[in-house]
Amino acid sequence: MRKTGVILPSQSEPLMRPMIVIGIPGDKRTSGIQQARSDLGMPPAIILSYAEFLQGRSLGDLMEEQKKQIPRQSSVYNGVDLSAAPPLLRLESPGSSFEIERAIIALGAPDSEDMDDSLHPFADRPDPRPLRVKVARQLKEMQGVLHHPSQWFRGYCRMLARLQREANTACPGSLWLNDPTDIAAMTDKRQTQQILSEAGIPIPRPVGEDQQPTDYDSLREMMLSRRMHRVFIKLAFGSAASGVIAYQIHPVTGAEIALTTVGVEDYITRPPIYYNSGKLRRYTDTATISGIMNWIYQHGAYAEQWIPKAGLKGKAFDIRQLVVLREACHAVARVSPTPITNLHLRNQRMSLSEAGLSESVQEQVRNTAVQALAAFPRSGVAGIDVLVSGGSQQCFVADVNPFGDLLYDVKYRGCSTYEWEMKVLSARDYITPPSTPLIKEGLS
Amino acid sequence: MTEVKLSIGYDEFEEGQRIGTEIEKLSSSPESSSLTSLIIGDWGQAYENSSEEVVESLVTHSASFPALRKLFIGEMGYEECEISWITQSDLSPLLPAFPELQSLTIQGGNELSLSELKHDKLEELIIISGGLGKAVLEQIATSQLPNLRKLELYLGVDNYGFDGSLADLLPLIEVGKFPKLTYLGLKNSQIQDEIAGALANAPILDQLDTLDLSLGTLSDEGAELLLASDRIKKLKALNLSHHYMSDEMITRWKQSGLPVDVSDKQESDDEEDWRYPSITE
Repeated sequence: MRKTGVILPSQSEPLMRPMIVIGIPGDKRTSGIQQARSDLGMPPAIILSYAEFLQGRSLGDLMEEQKKQIPRQSSVYNGVDLSAAPPLLRLESPGSSFEIERAIIALGAPDSEDMDDSLHPFADRPDPRPLRVKVARQLKEMQGVLHHPSQWFRGYCRMLARLQREANTACPGSLWLNDPTDIAAMTDKRQTQQILSEAGIPIPRPVGEDQQPTDYDSLREMMLSRRMHRVFIKLAFGSAASGVIAYQIHPVTGAEIALTTVGVEDYITRPPIYYNSGKLRRYTDTATISGIMNWIYQHGAYAEQWIPKAGLKGKAFDIRQLVVLREACHAVARVSPTPITNLHLRNQRMSLSEAGLSESVQEQVRNTAVQALAAFPRSGVAGIDVLVSGGSQQCFVADVNPFGDLLYDVKYRGCSTYEWEMKVLSARDYITPPSTPLIKEGLS
Repeated sequence: MTEVKLSIGYDEFEEGQRIGTEIEKLSSSPESSSLTSLIIGDWGQAYENSSEEVVESLVTHSASFPALRKLFIGEMGYEECEISWITQSDLSPLLPAFPELQSLTIQGGNELSLSELKHDKLEELIIISGGLGKAVLEQIATSQLPNLRKLELYLGVDNYGFDGSLADLLPLIEVGKFPKLTYLGLKNSQIQDEIAGALANAPILDQLDTLDLSLGTLSDEGAELLLASDRIKKLKALNLSHHYMSDEMITRWKQSGLPVDVSDKQESDDEEDWRYPSITE
């Protein structure tokens, strides 16, 4: 296999790579990138569509098609012909497109033509009640319904593996802004936390250091025997607040409370349907709680200690800290009246100072986030979710989001997130992976 | 004013730290003699351990806090402990121990008792809970608090310990029970309409500046009775925020010219049941 990504910097003239984005043409993300590039006088990125890629078009085909549509002179930037350089590849979030979600679930089917599970961190773990390709392709869009999270993730890993394979042949010498292997690991919370833990990054303590619980009963047993009465249980591949439960049990009475956005539609004749509700639900009955948890555990879950988060006027917050090429930049405190601070439509956004964090704690947040991304040495950009504990003001990393840069109304040195990324990428002559010390520092 | 908050986090408690030791340390520090306000936060896994240790320790060391006027027992958020799970205890030994106390705030209704509620100087009593038991309401009804100016009770719901009814509240609003009372809050209640109805024409309104019926389930039914009352017109503030009144009713309040807060309208559950896609970032 040809190795991508390592090219020595040229001393005389900076070599800037054209950017190829695989995403959803016209959505907020790809539009944001194009806008930023246009504002900075940079040639537009080439945008390739996930939908077309998932329909079977090869990466090489899509690239050729797009290149033809771009006028020749626009690939010249600062006198450098970008079409000559091997590209920088950037994956975007597959987003909230049901068409893409369904195609990915089909790709994860047991009878899929593509069975490359090499990027799946837990490939041998069976997915519950897998849907065959034909069935998956017939899934109907139902607002908020979590169709088949584990099969979706399997398909997602297969798609990433295929992108990686095809990039090797279609554009030799290309470099991933975030490598597909890292993106797969960041998308699975079990794997993310394991990698962070091994790198010595502070994370909330997992329930069961050596062995995680496997269902509702083993979770309760471990919580009680370890005296960890308040935990977060997360669907391993959820994003935002999807599949997250703030759960507590009363050690004396055995009572339990689950706060979650997961809603349930029960049926007599078929399995229940689980969906993301916009309203935070509070369950106290064992039947519902165990039903949701067992469903989440069947697909894959991660449970960790509920760190009492720092708060402001009775509300708690966490921090989304963006890191671009080993530098912490945009940060926002997500202040929420509920324990689930990343429930995006219900929280309030503030600067870290407005949230009451001292300069030294802010510095600690930045350092922690930079170290967290460094645990993924093949990746240049991620939004790190950092918790600051209420009492000791210690920082913990709760999540690493490979597409965590869609942050509105936050500026860093006068730049939006995309503007800043494009500036840093061009100024730093981003031609080697961020892990190697060959990046020209100090040019920005 | 000097204020200190003492709190024992989950990990600190697991490591053996205790609230009693912290109170003792504070009592022997130089600041204790001038301390006017003390806040006790989480005393260590408050869903399992009651506030008894707090009470004992404060009573033991009360002489070290001669300037103390304000006391808060149980200031903690949902990040530390579910409010309805905070385990209190009989807090009344605190009252004779701090004869100069002016303000007592309590959060958490479980196992809460105020068995000897007598104090000559206490001006404020605030109990924040998800469900206040009728036994406590009765203790307040038979209390001797001649100087009380502010009584604020978060009554809560039956799921979390509210086992009373309107009848248990009526003794609290009898004229003469608290002769100096100017702020009455009977709030955060599932029977907010009934309470509004009982208060609408209650003689006690004549002595009040503020009536606080916020955070409950107040609907047009209770609001109608309030609006029809002449007695509420003398109030300097009427707090009805966080309610279930109709837009029409809100407009009527706004047109009334009364100093009323009708903010934070709640929607019924069905309207809030919208769904969001799972993959959004």
